[in-house]
Amino acid sequence: MSTAPPQEAADEPRRRLHPLSPILHGAKSIAVVVAALSWQTLSQVGLERFALVVLVLAVGVVIFSLVGWLTTGYHVVGRELRISDGLIWRRNRAIPLERLQAVELRRPLLAQLTGLAELRLEVVGGGKTEAPLAYLTVRDAAALRERLLALAGRTPAGEAQADAGPQAAATAATTLERPLLRVANRDLVVSQLLTPQAIFLPVGIAFVVMQFVLEAQWTFIGIASTFTAMAGVLLQPVRRVLQDWDFRLARDQGGRLVVRYGLLETRSQIVPLKRVQSVGVTWPLLWRGQKWLHLRLDIAGYAGEPGRDSKRSDRLLPVGDFTTARGLVWEVLPGVDLAMLATSPPPARARWLHPFALRYFGAGLTPEVFVTRWGLVTREVSLVPYARLQSVRVMQGPLQRWLGLATVYADTAGGRSGQARDRDLAEAWALAEQLAVRARIARGPIVTAPPASPTFWQPPVRP
Amino acid sequence: MTEPSAPDALTPWPDTVDWRPVSPKLITVELITRVVWVVVLLAGLGIGWFFAPHWTWGAGMAAVVVYGVWRSIVTVRAVHAWGYAERDQDLLVRHGLLIRRLSIVPYARMQFVDVTAGPLERAFGLATVQLHTASAASDARVPGLPPAEASRLRDRLTALGEDRAEGL
Repeated sequence: MSTAPPQEAADEPRRRLHPLSPILHGAKSIAVVVAALSWQTLSQVGLERFALVVLVLAVGVVIFSLVGWLTTGYHVVGRELRISDGLIWRRNRAIPLERLQAVELRRPLLAQLTGLAELRLEVVGGGKTEAPLAYLTVRDAAALRERLLALAGRTPAGEAQADAGPQAAATAATTLERPLLRVANRDLVVSQLLTPQAIFLPVGIAFVVMQFVLEAQWTFIGIASTFTAMAGVLLQPVRRVLQDWDFRLARDQGGRLVVRYGLLETRSQIVPLKRVQSVGVTWPLLWRGQKWLHLRLDIAGYAGEPGRDSKRSDRLLPVGDFTTARGLVWEVLPGVDLAMLATSPPPARARWLHPFALRYFGAGLTPEVFVTRWGLVTREVSLVPYARLQSVRVMQGPLQRWLGLATVYADTAGGRSGQARDRDLAEAWALAEQLAVRARIARGPIVTAPPASPTFWQPPVRP
Repeated sequence: MTEPSAPDALTPWPDTVDWRPVSPKLITVELITRVVWVVVLLAGLGIGWFFAPHWTWGAGMAAVVVYGVWRSIVTVRAVHAWGYAERDQDLLVRHGLLIRRLSIVPYARMQFVDVTAGPLERAFGLATVQLHTASAASDARVPGLPPAEASRLRDRLTALGEDRAEGL
């Protein structure tokens, strides 16, 4: 991208990240290096030498990070955030703020101890999170976030705040929040105990113990590998608990959704409601006794991130009952009542393709969203607002053609598509046409924007 | 088009849309590509047969030839199955014989348009236009367009896309 014109750069000087950032970055790399060297190396070379090697590496890493820190800078120019970094490969990146999808403030453990935070911006089309600004002080990060979001939203209040300065914006944000929900940590722990991994753990332990008792061979390798295997199995539920700990939702004064959670790494994410691409509801099998469900929020920008569940920040409700979920869906997608979503099943002849799961398939068009449901064991419902529809696809495989069926997909920028599976062919065409028409209406009238004041936010049309 | 589907009262609307075909020269391009692949595979298998004589190599070669011939026959129909239509608000693209696909992509959702042409396509005066949206799942690719038509489509798509909002 082009560099900043000098007169613009003059009013907003390029700012550096916090001086502690290189040390924090270095600490991460050193931990990796130590882990790679392992205990075996320690026993072979002796403690002094090992310490020396680690020290030399640490100094090297810190110098490297320091150079990185010296060359990294960011500043806001007009409606863009410019970030430049790199010593040998210089990179100047300009992020148009009207394309901002969500901003997340992450605080890993070390950053929490030092009072720092990482600011992550989500933009569409990035293969990964663009430009994580690591690290800033919490105050700076919150102020910058508020400023970026105000610029992105371009509401009159937001402009006033942006002009009033970062401090004013930050204080305003913290005071004017309406809490929506707080997930009880007890529920969270119970919900993660009710996962296949946790349920099968006692069975696995019993099996292993029985084998030991019967064979009477208590080898070190056997025990160690058992423990490793158990830790591996338990890792995911434990990680979920740590991540979703103290989950809180709120609406800020701009009507945006504020999500906060995490124990070791706290995350606080602000999502403008217009950036919600779809909402997914899941009823896992083991949670059915508690009548619990899980809500997922799809935002464009996270889609590109590889499907590592732990890295994604897409939770709207880690665990909760139906009433809570109903209220939340109403908040996020106004006018959508989770209890009133009518869907119709596919024709009965589709049972040749899905002998058991067919009863749980369904699709429906409500005034605001396209509803699809599926899943025998884990029941799922996906809600795609028409206004966020990217494209519509109809697909018909050979078996479907034989039965006169077709599947309709409603693609969103969030990566997951709503899919109405195995509908009657005529119905599928009608459905696709309806989706296209409703999406067009929901997008609003054709905006022939004059170049002077382009429309950055599409006003949604609510009938 | 080449669709002999039943024209009854329930005629699905995609058949009532004015579908535009892609250039039949695409068949030649696809066939040449296929022949090259078959030849490469046959050569590989032949070398294998030369160094380690066994009848399975021969069977493999026969399978490759049969598959190549079958695919070539299918190609002719598959190219005729490609079609696109420009409506007021959206672009329709359909393709596929075994698995039939129809995509409806609103112009307003366009992020960018690609026009590509490989060496073989260029030799036959063809180009491929692809419309990208913010969704990775969207599939709006039209191959086998004459360059004039490709650039006309591209210009039209970008012009229509510009009129509309940001695409998200």
